[in-house]
Amino acid sequence: MRKHTLAPLTVMALTLLLAAIPITALASGEIGGHVDDLKAHLGEYESEVKGFNEKVDGLVESYAGKGDGSVNTAKLIEWWEDVKFHAAVEVNYVPVYASIWQGIYGVKEAIDEGKPVAEVRKQQRALEQAMWKGMGAVMLASKNQADGGTSGGEDSEKVSGSKAVDRILTNLDEVTIEYAENESEEATEIIHNTYLNLFEGIEGALIEQDAELVEDLEKDFNVGLPKLIENGASVSEVTDYVKTMEKKLNRAQKLLEKGEQNKKDVF
Amino acid sequence: MKRRELLHGLALLGLAGSWPMGALGAGNAGGAVSVDELPALEGELTLYLGRGEGGLYEDVIEAIRKRNPKLRLNIRRGPTVALANTLVAEAEAGAQQADLFWAVDSGSLGMVSQAGLAKPVREAARSHLREEFRYKDWAPVSGRVRTLPYNTERLSREQIPESIMALPDTDLNVGWAPAYGSFQSFVTAMRLLEGEAATRDWLRGMKARTRQYAGELGVVMGVSRGEVDIGLANHYYTLRLKAGQPDAPLDLAFTRNDAGSLLNASGVMALRDTDLAHNFIRYLLTQEVQSYLASEAYEIPMVTGVALPAGLPEAASANPPSIELTRLADVRPTLTLMRDAGVL
Repeated sequence: MRKHTLAPLTVMALTLLLAAIPITALASGEIGGHVDDLKAHLGEYESEVKGFNEKVDGLVESYAGKGDGSVNTAKLIEWWEDVKFHAAVEVNYVPVYASIWQGIYGVKEAIDEGKPVAEVRKQQRALEQAMWKGMGAVMLASKNQADGGTSGGEDSEKVSGSKAVDRILTNLDEVTIEYAENESEEATEIIHNTYLNLFEGIEGALIEQDAELVEDLEKDFNVGLPKLIENGASVSEVTDYVKTMEKKLNRAQKLLEKGEQNKKDVF
Repeated sequence: MKRRELLHGLALLGLAGSWPMGALGAGNAGGAVSVDELPALEGELTLYLGRGEGGLYEDVIEAIRKRNPKLRLNIRRGPTVALANTLVAEAEAGAQQADLFWAVDSGSLGMVSQAGLAKPVREAARSHLREEFRYKDWAPVSGRVRTLPYNTERLSREQIPESIMALPDTDLNVGWAPAYGSFQSFVTAMRLLEGEAATRDWLRGMKARTRQYAGELGVVMGVSRGEVDIGLANHYYTLRLKAGQPDAPLDLAFTRNDAGSLLNASGVMALRDTDLAHNFIRYLLTQEVQSYLASEAYEIPMVTGVALPAGLPEAASANPPSIELTRLADVRPTLTLMRDAGVL
């Protein structure tokens, strides 16, 4: 497996950089020095996005014309891992990065399972949208980088209350990425750490308001999601499970925001 | 007279605090100081803060910041164990940055203490701590006690054994969450207090009568729904559930002088021997901060003169075991034991 270059992560600290994600939790692939100067590489990234989308379109065309025996869907992952844009999105906007992987697997699984062309095209459109959304995130990050960014980092970032839910949601996106890349062990580690370091911190404030919701999420983190991964469920099953958790977490976030309005003062 | 009735009687007479291991209830020897009595904090301070208590520690820090505008507080946050490792590594490299370490588990404090990095707690802070929690290197900030939540529609308190070691010999159905960190600390305490063989036998004996849950809130809810008679869980789950669902058929029981009533604590230590670092610790032990953590987080105050969290019964002031909390960090042999016994 290719290893990450850590230095760029420590120096970028962009507004959109999700800095507290453990280095080990990031997906595989060489990051490369280009992410230190995003602005200089925007043209290259854009060409890669267009080129990638064209290749995917060619593959889907081939499937539409000749059937599933005519295409090698493993190429989708190979093409994605080959582009520099991959790393640029990865270090700047994990939610979109997750959507791209989900899109890739959406197309791949639809073809591998012999689904109708219309279904494959639907997955292809979702993938294209995710790619362009990623391009937008990289452009914004390049602007922040050129402006000097911030000096924050995981060691100075305050994560509590409803904001912790945002981090949990991001980490769950990471879980789907890792799983899609066959990194089951890392995916499970992220789930465990997220429960321990983030969810346990907010559950107390939620119990009085909706104990059943907390119990449900406790099961999701400690049993449901890790078991799916352990049992080798498909990527889409894991993604669907995460989506269900996200709905519950959105409700939890609303409850936390409500509770934060009624907090008493310390002094 | 049953032990619990005796305790209740003593508590009514105001004598419970004279039991050897000390009471947790609000005493007044020394008394917690008010923040108004403390010097203003001025200058630069770097705090390493272990995550785990949600926004409540952050609220305390923000309040201290607001009250002390000349304090430049740098905070490094992260998982407690990771920060403890960082502290040791930085010290070994001669690049220590932190003035203070505030950790949610005492085991991590023990690790830093063992590395020789802690500065002794000054008497100005130490004297306000409850006697049994006056450690040399660190000051406990707030505590949590192991409890036996039980379903009041299925059994009475008298049917619950006073010894945790007797639980496997009862006919009670028990809920537990062996994968949960606090449960593993509790088993670690049992291993240290009772020995490996007795702990292994206990785990094996319990296995036949337990129902496993994903976490300790699940345990308490399982008890409340009547899925099990009794559970093993930290106290605050029951208090929080009762606050939201006052009619839930739940109450808390406590064992005596054993791992079943272990009291674990978050704590803070100074890594530089400066007035500023030590005075910051004093802020955390004030009446105001301790009351806030008790009322908002249901945590047990560690200083005298502060009321227990609402809903914590008198029996909580019984008898936690005498154990050096930092030894609870040694969880690896516990996990091996739990795997041996087939509960993990």
